Amino acid sequence: MKLSALKPVALVLSRELALTALLLLGVSLVVFVILFLAPGDPFSVLLEGQMPSHEARAGVREALGIPTTWYGQYFAWLGNLLRGNFGTSIRTGLPVFGEIVRVGASTLYLTLGSMLVTLLIAVPIALHASVRGATPFNRPFTLLAYVVSALPVFWLGYVAIYLVSRQLGVFPLVSQASAPTERAWLYSLLPICVLGLGNGTVSEVVRYLREELSRVMAEDYIRTARAKGASVWRHAFREGLLIPMTEIVASKIPFILGGAVIVEQVFNWPGMGRMAWQAAQDRDFPAIMGIAMVAATLVRTGSLLQRVVYVAVNPRASQQRRGGGWAE
Amino acid sequence: MGAPLLEIESLRTYFYSRSKRAFIRAVDGVTLALARGETLGVVGESGSGKSVTALSITGLIGAGPGVIGGTIVFRADGGEQNLLADLERYVDRKEVDGRIVEVSKDEAGWRRKVERIMAPLRGKAISVIFQNPKSALNPFVRVGAQITEVIRLHTPTKGAREAREQALDWLRRVKIDSPRLRFDNYPYGLSGGMCQRAVIAMALASEPALLIADEPTTGLDATIQSEIVGLLAELKAEIGIATLLISHDIRVISRLADNVAVMYGGSVMEHGPAADVLAARFAPKHPYTTALLASIPSEQNVRDKGYLTVIEGEVPDAVDLPRGCRFYARCNRVTDGVRDRCAQREPALQEIAPGHRVRCWLYGE
Repeated sequence: MKLSALKPVALVLSRELALTALLLLGVSLVVFVILFLAPGDPFSVLLEGQMPSHEARAGVREALGIPTTWYGQYFAWLGNLLRGNFGTSIRTGLPVFGEIVRVGASTLYLTLGSMLVTLLIAVPIALHASVRGATPFNRPFTLLAYVVSALPVFWLGYVAIYLVSRQLGVFPLVSQASAPTERAWLYSLLPICVLGLGNGTVSEVVRYLREELSRVMAEDYIRTARAKGASVWRHAFREGLLIPMTEIVASKIPFILGGAVIVEQVFNWPGMGRMAWQAAQDRDFPAIMGIAMVAATLVRTGSLLQRVVYVAVNPRASQQRRGGGWAE
Repeated sequence: MGAPLLEIESLRTYFYSRSKRAFIRAVDGVTLALARGETLGVVGESGSGKSVTALSITGLIGAGPGVIGGTIVFRADGGEQNLLADLERYVDRKEVDGRIVEVSKDEAGWRRKVERIMAPLRGKAISVIFQNPKSALNPFVRVGAQITEVIRLHTPTKGAREAREQALDWLRRVKIDSPRLRFDNYPYGLSGGMCQRAVIAMALASEPALLIADEPTTGLDATIQSEIVGLLAELKAEIGIATLLISHDIRVISRLADNVAVMYGGSVMEHGPAADVLAARFAPKHPYTTALLASIPSEQNVRDKGYLTVIEGEVPDAVDLPRGCRFYARCNRVTDGVRDRCAQREPALQEIAPGHRVRCWLYGE
């Protein structure tokens, strides 16, 4: 790629980053307000076993230096965040940031792995179906992918545990956390496959890719490629595969993260989803806020990558006339 | 002169219409020949089967059943091959008194076979220029790279730098302005006329034996059209490549073609030297050609009549072609002497002068 082609990418990147900062601010505000309006608060956890009297609450509040108004609390939190301080978990008393990094890595492993499973299953089916149409060979695969996708992950998770661990005894019924480290990847296969196959992603990836690829295959320039004896795939790759693939994956990230919360519960996976679940139960405000920020960042990163890929491969998207081209 | 470069014999390409539950007989028994160095103009209204003939030659028919019969003999590099060889065995036709009523085709097998036959020829021995040049180029790839690709695939020039130089040279030969700049442009940065020049450069870059130009001026502005025709005429004089020129525009055909085939309803109605076929209106020829010539806005027509003649009626429905002459329903030269034959039986292509053949009962038998 020439240097001139990197310019529009840098432009888009900076614009998207600015947008991300604004969005994160908005998300933090909304989540904070919802937390504040929701019943319950961290004090009940801190003062567990006691009937928290008004005086007891005020005492704790003063001891921890918590402002009384919600906006006071919000800006205190925001100020700390800007200094790189995510706060301290009320439940564990540990810094939220360190905890998120630890569980975040685990969740990233789960979600990226499941994405890979989804693509490994969906892409071949979509390619075959878009080139050959529905044939007796690919129809059962498509149907199976659709059916499995439609199953709820928690159910699929338990059935997978039952079948694979109890009946077949392929994997011991141990959570990844307590598995021997050198074989941890083996125990992680089951949750990764469940999240990758279920959760509705496979069917949507198949459908979207198939539609886009069929549309591109019918384009005039693909016929030109065939007529000139060039590889059709080479010419169809960017518009027919690369762009739709990044688009669908980016748009599915929120669903995958949502699915991860459930899969982590079912498989006792020490990830962000479990941490979020626990934090929500305990009204652990700093932890919830931290997770919300990280989750929002992940979602934004996906769409940011998608924009960058789109601009990098599509010369028309960059709106910049290179080499003195004609005005459209 | 020797044997012709391309010989098409009773080519049939059908499509199936689900809604009408019948075959669309897009190309129905086309017979054509093209000599080396010759430009054969194929002219006819929309729906006469011109473009489908071109796509059939290149094996690019997408929808089924597609090509179902005939032979296409192509002679290049000292060899001779039927592009439809052995394809008959993938097709099963059922005829009821001379009409095909049922076709079953092993689409996958047929397609595999076509790809095997066409793979060594496409782009190398046979190049195609399509209509609508803006959409014919890959919008994601620089113009120069698209031409370089052809050179590296189909010519002995394999080095990136040499291929690049050669591609640039082709851009100069098609007289694109500032070729160096255009080389690094994406298609969206080029006008329609420039895109067509680039497409022509891409088609010629492999120095093919046969060039198929399918409506090369359609979708361009009128002034650009005549520029492109001028360019094609120059290239014809310079390179002399055998060209199958398909156009509904008689003016384009008359400027470039040595021989002309007039198509109507999926069949060739008249085939002969351009001078004879497109000659003054009262020369002997097919009534359809006469009508077609009278409908062109030429000075001659305007001077003679002050208005243009419209061919009454419509192109016959390719689903339900008439039993007799395809043009019978619209013909204004039917005489009582031939009327019965016109309605009942299809005339054969009759030679009325050396090399000039007409499918009409007025001449013959």
